[in-house]
Amino acid sequence: MLLSHQAPALGLLSLCLMVYVSLALNTSHNTPESAAEKCNFKMTFRKYRLILSWELKNRSVVPTYYTFGYTIMSKREGMKTVENCTNITRSFCDLTDVWQDMPETYIPMVKGFRGETLLVLCLAAITNLDLSFQPPDFRIVGYADHINVSVQFPPVAPKIYGEELHRHASLIIEEHSEDIDKRHEPKISGSFSGNFSYVINNLIPNTNYCVSVYFEPRNSRIVIKPPLKCVLLQLPQESGSSKSIKIIVFIVIFISVAISIILILKQIGYVCLHTEFPKALIFRNFVVQIFPERPLSEEVNMLEVISVHRKKKVWDYNYDDESDTEDEAPLRTNARGYTMHGLTGRLLSQFRPSSASSQASHPEDPADEESEEPDKETEPLFQPLAAQGPSPGQREGPRERAEGLPHNRSPKDDDSNSTGGSGDKITFNVDLNSVFLRALHDDAEDSEEAALVLPPQEEDPQETESSLLVPHGKKLQVLFPSLPPGCLWTGGDLSDKSDTTSSGADDDVRDGYIMR
Amino acid sequence: MANRYILQITLLLSFSTVSLSVSYNLLQLQQRNSSLACQELLKKLKGKPEYCHDDSMDFKFPEEIKQPQQFRKEKAALVIQEMLQNILDIVRRSFSNTVWDETIVKNLLLELHQQIDSLKTLLKEKLEEKGITWEDSKTIPRLKGYYWRIRRHLKAKHSSICAWTVVQVELFRNFSFVNRLTDCFQD
Repeated sequence: MLLSHQAPALGLLSLCLMVYVSLALNTSHNTPESAAEKCNFKMTFRKYRLILSWELKNRSVVPTYYTFGYTIMSKREGMKTVENCTNITRSFCDLTDVWQDMPETYIPMVKGFRGETLLVLCLAAITNLDLSFQPPDFRIVGYADHINVSVQFPPVAPKIYGEELHRHASLIIEEHSEDIDKRHEPKISGSFSGNFSYVINNLIPNTNYCVSVYFEPRNSRIVIKPPLKCVLLQLPQESGSSKSIKIIVFIVIFISVAISIILILKQIGYVCLHTEFPKALIFRNFVVQIFPERPLSEEVNMLEVISVHRKKKVWDYNYDDESDTEDEAPLRTNARGYTMHGLTGRLLSQFRPSSASSQASHPEDPADEESEEPDKETEPLFQPLAAQGPSPGQREGPRERAEGLPHNRSPKDDDSNSTGGSGDKITFNVDLNSVFLRALHDDAEDSEEAALVLPPQEEDPQETESSLLVPHGKKLQVLFPSLPPGCLWTGGDLSDKSDTTSSGADDDVRDGYIMR
Repeated sequence: MANRYILQITLLLSFSTVSLSVSYNLLQLQQRNSSLACQELLKKLKGKPEYCHDDSMDFKFPEEIKQPQQFRKEKAALVIQEMLQNILDIVRRSFSNTVWDETIVKNLLLELHQQIDSLKTLLKEKLEEKGITWEDSKTIPRLKGYYWRIRRHLKAKHSSICAWTVVQVELFRNFSFVNRLTDCFQD
C-alpha cells in the first residue's frame, strides 16, 4: 500500500534527475560552440599585411592578455602557437608569414586570461571567403581634362597566403561624376609594388569628379570601398605675364609679316617708296609750325646801301667777248637761273640777328626782312657786291639781314670797299624776288615812289633784264605779270628824302646791261 | 594541289585558334564565378569545422594539381571536368543522408551541372582535334583515388555530421584548386 502511494513521487524524482543530467551533459557538450560564439573574428588584408583580429561579444569580460593558436582542418595536427601572438594585450595577430596556403580552412583559437584564470576561449573556421582587403592609400590630381591617380605600393611586392597580391585581388579605380560612373581596372604588369600611376582621360572641364581606389578580391565577395576623393576640373588661368607675352609675340609676328609683304611688293614693283619725305612730314619745325613763335621784336637797322654802277655782263654765247671788266662782279647763277647780286650794306644801328631758319621759312615775306626802314636822317645806299663767295643756301633765295653802319657814306667810298670788303661791311646775298627797291628822286613831284620788285631771273638774262626795269617816266617800274599786286611794295614808308645815286631815273637797259 | 589550300588551311587554323582562345577566356571567367558560388553554398551548410577537427583526415589530394603551372589548357580542362564530376557524385549522396540543407544542395548541383556541360562541349571539340584522350593523363587516376578515399571516409564514419563536415571542408578546398587550374586557360 505504501509503495503504491510513493510511486508517483519516485517517478517525478527520476524525471527531474534525468532532466538535470541531460541539461548538464548538454552544457558540457556545447562548451566549444559557446566558446566560438563568444568572439567575432575578422580576417583583413590591411596595409599589405594579413591580420586576424577578434572582439569579445561580452564586453564586460576584459582579459588582461591573450594567447593565439591555430590548426589546419585538412591536416591532423595539434594547435600551433604563434610566437608574436603569445601573451599579448592587443586583440589581433599578424599572420602574413604564418598562413601560407589559401585553399585551407584554418581553425584559430584565442584564449583570454586574467592572471592565471582563463576567462574566454574563442574558436572559428576561417577561409578565403572571410578575407577582406582594406583599400590602399591614393592621391588624385585634377587637370583640365584628366585626373592623375597615384597609388603608393610597398617597394617589395606584398604577399598573401604566400602568393603575390595580384593573384588574389584586382585594383579597381572608380570614376564618379554627376551622370556617369565608370570603372577602370588597370592592367598591372607584374605585382603591386612601387609607385603606380593611372590617368583618367577624356574628362569634361569644369566638372566635379570623385574617385575611389580599392581592391576587388578574386576569391571572395567582400569589397571595402574607401571614401571618395573629389576634384573640380578647371581650365588653367593664364597669368598676366603669359598673356602679355602672347600678345607681344602676336604683334611681332604680325609686324614682321606686314614688313615682309611690303618688301616683297617693293621688290616686285608694286610699291614705290619715296626716299624723301614731303615737307608736311618734316617735323623738324613741327612745333614751331604748330605753335609759331612770336616774332622777335625786330630792331630796325639803318642800312646804308651803296649802289655801284656795275655793268652786268650777259653772256651772248660769244667766247671772244672780252669786254668784261675786272670790276664787274661775276654773275653767279644757280641752277634755277637766279642771278645773285651781292649787296653791301652798313649797319646803321645795332640789330638783333634773327635765325636763318626763320628767314628760310618765310620766303614769301621778303619785305619784312629786306626792307629795312632806314633812319629818317639817312638814306640807304645800295652797293652791289664784288665777287663774293657762294652765298649759303641759294635754293630759295636766301637772305641775310643786312647790317650796316648808321652813317652816310659816299658811293665812292663804298665802291672802294665793294670788292674787298671790310670788317665794317657785311656782304649778303639778296633774293631778287624779295627785294623791294625804291627809286628816290629829289624832285618833289617824285612823291610817288616807284617800287621795284625784282622778279627772279630767267635763264635768259638778257630777256629777263629787259623786262625788269621799264622806265615809266621818271620812275622805274617793273613789270611782274606773274606776281600778284599785293607783292608790290609801294614803299610808302620810306622817306621822301631818301635818294639814290642816279639809280632811279637814268637806268638804261641796253646791250644786256643794267645800269643804274 | 596542296599548295592551293595552304592559305585556306592557315586561315582556318588561325581563326580556330582565336575562337578557342576566346572560349577558354570565357570559360575561365565562368568557372571562377561558379567556383565562388559553390564555395559560398558550402559555407552556408550547418557544419562547424572547428568542432570536428578530431575527425579530420588527409585525403591526399594530388600534389601536381595544387600547383598546375605546367598544365596545358586541355589537360587543365580535363582535370577540372573530372573534379566537378566527382564532387557532383558526392553531393548527390548527401540527399539520402539528409545532413545538408536540400535547397543549398540543389543550388550546388545546378552550378555543377552547368559547368560540367560547358567543359564537355569545349573538350569534345579540342580532344577530337588534337587526339588527346583522358587515358593519357596520369593525373586523372590519382584524382579518382582521392575521391574514392573521401567516399570511404563517409562510409566509415557512418555519414556522421562531423564526417560530412570534413567532406564539406574538403570540397570547399577542391574549388580553390579548380580556380588555380582555370588560370591555365589564360594565354
